[in-house]
Amino acid sequence: MTQTIAIIGASGNMGSALAKSLSKGDYRLLLCANNLDKVQAVADEIKRDNPAANVEALDCTVDASWEADIIIAAVPYAAEKEVAERIRQVANQKIVISIANLVNESFDGAVTAPNTSAAEELQRLLPNSKVIKAFNTTFAADFATPVIDGKQVDAFVAGQDEEALQTVSELVRVAGFNPIVAGDLSVSRTLEHMQILLMQLTLKYNYNWLAGWKILHQ
Amino acid sequence: MYDLFFQKFNEKVQLTGEEQVQILDHLTFKKLRKKQYLLQEGDVCKAIAFVEKGALRAYSVDENSAEHIIQFGLEGWTIADLYSFLTGEPATYNIDALEDSELVLISKTAHEELLQTMPKYETYTRLNITGAYLAMQRRLTSIIGSSLDERYQDFIALYPHIAQRVPQHMIASYMGLTPETLSRIRRRISKK
Repeated sequence: MTQTIAIIGASGNMGSALAKSLSKGDYRLLLCANNLDKVQAVADEIKRDNPAANVEALDCTVDASWEADIIIAAVPYAAEKEVAERIRQVANQKIVISIANLVNESFDGAVTAPNTSAAEELQRLLPNSKVIKAFNTTFAADFATPVIDGKQVDAFVAGQDEEALQTVSELVRVAGFNPIVAGDLSVSRTLEHMQILLMQLTLKYNYNWLAGWKILHQ
Repeated sequence: MYDLFFQKFNEKVQLTGEEQVQILDHLTFKKLRKKQYLLQEGDVCKAIAFVEKGALRAYSVDENSAEHIIQFGLEGWTIADLYSFLTGEPATYNIDALEDSELVLISKTAHEELLQTMPKYETYTRLNITGAYLAMQRRLTSIIGSSLDERYQDFIALYPHIAQRVPQHMIASYMGLTPETLSRIRRRISKK
């Protein structure tokens, strides 16, 4: 059955890239952001490219999350707390995907303490939700080009709930990436630091923000 | 969002504040818009739905694509494909919203966890299942042995205000009648 996904922060770089990408799948998307005009523009653009897309813009995060089966918090780490407080009740028992990177503004370090991660902090704020880490090691531009230099970019998924991990892996596949279940939610610490490294290397070697991780194996 | 759920729960089994919180942590809140599905035939029914607000129906579709309504779910009612929920087999019912609705869902995982940790939830479940069994027996007896007029009156007693909320053809479908037959019965009863 068609699942409903609420994307909070859908007018941002990552949020809109995710929305465009997931609109190709059998999902009903509820896009929300503080600025309804901006998020409506994203919805209109998706419908222009794909008239069959099941997508709608909403200005109420709580209503969207209440309707949703899966919630994607496509907001920076600094905004996660505020979002979590608003949706806590309606996110009960639901999958909440944390895409945030805990990187600081100059991309040279983390903003959380070393013994935690943005995903674990979100789980602490939403104790009755199934928080899953995903899409944090992918740049926004990767969603339009998930195959780089002939190789499909890997996307890592981490969390506690087995069924939720499978559901999110399928979502990652629909978005065009190769899903790899990396482990429980504490693996997010490594995943978030992997992205810090990728950002630093992107700046250093000018990857033009189109880069990703690929595990080579037998 | 869950006031009616706990009101009905407390009518069956009285909960302490602490127990209420324990149950609350296990609930999923879901809004459905009119015509949206909660469950589709062939999928596994993964949750029991309590209708906090709105109206739903459970129905099966026969080989001629005709719909047969099994149950309506109005405020305060519980609706699910219990067979699928309990066995994990694919559902034979579809459940969709007749109005914009607010539901309180108890997932299979949450249901089993609560059954194991909370005797009061077990009592609540037993009363719910017993109630569903009695309702089914009443419905069966009514279909087999009652006159059409009696069946219609049984139906109205069960769902007092439903005629104002649900189209006639759905009521006919629930009763296993054509809409024409139902309207004849209604005319006859109103003349009495």
